[in-house]
Amino acid sequence: MLVKIPLSSKPAVARVECSWRPSKARRTRLESTLIYFDNVTKVYGRDIAALKDVNLGIEAGEFVFLVGASGSGKSTMVRLILKELEPSSGTIVVNGVKLSGIPDRYVPKHRRDIGCVFQDFKLLPNKTAAENVAYALEVTGQKRRTIRTKVPQILDLVGLSEKRGKYPDQLSGGEQQRVSIARAFVGQPPILIADEPTGNLDPDTSVGIMQLLHRINRIGTTVLVATHDKEMVDVMRKRVVALENGRIVRDMVRGGYTNEV
Amino acid sequence: MRFDLGFFLREAFKNILLNPLMSITAVTTTAVCVLILGVGMLVNAHVEGIINRIGQDVTITAFFPEDVSQERADEVYSSVEGYPEVSQVTYVSREEALERFRSTLSDQPEILEGLPSDVLPASIEIQLADSRSSDAVAEKLQAEGFAEGDLLYNQKTIDNLNQATSYVVWALRGATALFFVASVLLIFNTIRLSIFARRKEIEVMKLVGASDSFVRTPFLFEGLVQGLIGAAVAALLVVWVNSVFVAWAQYELPFIPISSNAISTVFLLLVLIAVGVVVGIAGSAFSVRRFLKI
Repeated sequence: MLVKIPLSSKPAVARVECSWRPSKARRTRLESTLIYFDNVTKVYGRDIAALKDVNLGIEAGEFVFLVGASGSGKSTMVRLILKELEPSSGTIVVNGVKLSGIPDRYVPKHRRDIGCVFQDFKLLPNKTAAENVAYALEVTGQKRRTIRTKVPQILDLVGLSEKRGKYPDQLSGGEQQRVSIARAFVGQPPILIADEPTGNLDPDTSVGIMQLLHRINRIGTTVLVATHDKEMVDVMRKRVVALENGRIVRDMVRGGYTNEV
Repeated sequence: MRFDLGFFLREAFKNILLNPLMSITAVTTTAVCVLILGVGMLVNAHVEGIINRIGQDVTITAFFPEDVSQERADEVYSSVEGYPEVSQVTYVSREEALERFRSTLSDQPEILEGLPSDVLPASIEIQLADSRSSDAVAEKLQAEGFAEGDLLYNQKTIDNLNQATSYVVWALRGATALFFVASVLLIFNTIRLSIFARRKEIEVMKLVGASDSFVRTPFLFEGLVQGLIGAAVAALLVVWVNSVFVAWAQYELPFIPISSNAISTVFLLLVLIAVGVVVGIAGSAFSVRRFLKI
């Protein structure tokens, strides 16, 4: 079932697409750091703090779980990385680029370097599974021939070859999430972020989704999964960053959902 | 970035077919708007045409004195014919004048019994090319030797006519403009509703990394196609209604000077279709912009 597709083993890092360039000393450190939060605080409205002084570095090729209860700030971190939100203070560097230095019209380019998977799938309802995946390539201006060869490969990888012509409302939740992962991954971004990817799925389906994310990570993509799916985190034994009330309270290399091992 | 026209057109047509109700609403609204504009343009053109014809019909009648010689009358006739303000001159002899008078009183012939044949004076009827030149022509006629009392024209009526027609023309233009603005707002609102229904899609497109122009372009094509269809239908309808109306009016209302040349068909079609297309595109551009800010 697993079809081998040619993928660049080394993710592209430290690509600088705007005027900002880190100093040489910092650059060496940043080369391998794909996501870097430096004292980031995010305040909604006047005084609702979603994140407080968050410091975090994620290296290329890592698989990281971001855990915590609802409202602990997981989604805020994801949205900050996508530059959907601006931090109230602090610096975020993604893929070697300081986010605050990216002008608005380069934000789409920034987002193409980050594959994104959401709890509610966010598929385009008027497009079939294959068209949804193809759209991620179309926005980057890829040739139609490239799209025609790549899309079936990716759909095969996520195990949806037979459902390529189905519309999202004809697919089960797990299948929709697979389409969403295929779309996030088809452009071979260096980073893949999943915000509660199993939040709407039953445990069996969730296992399949996690295996898929794990496989994508093994190919060399950095994967960040925000979740409160305790069982999954405990089984996978990956790096766990725990958030509580907007602060990082724990960062373990092979951790579980809770502190006890 | 590469501009793939085929892709954008495919997306636009797919969207139109996938949201048939919204597309029909947008097309119908555009058609109604263009119809209003077209009918307004027609009414304007015809009213202006009629007014111009009425203006042309303004005449001055100059009565010759009783003792005028035929040579003198001919001389005056040919000199008046040379005035630049005059479009047509008719000589009415005494006999003709009596004949006309007799025919207007044909149901009471006894009134005219016993009248001598030269009871009415001879006259010339001068048709003016432009009603505003009546004063100038009257002055020239006086220089020709006519007494002021022998000139029959009503400056006041002419002035009032000019005044009234300019009011009518401006009122019609104002009403057309007002209707047009209202219907453009209606179109904008319709398009906004249809795009509002798809704001989630726009959000997803942006999250996947689509640039603003990439999201916007299919919507613009959609607006263009919908505007084109709506405007074309309405413009053809307007042209058809115009031809039917002109034919009917010329047969049923021959005393009203309605001309089929009041407005050029090609001009009408071009203006109406252009307006529909521009409004469609502008409406889409305007509406998408609000949902692109993510």
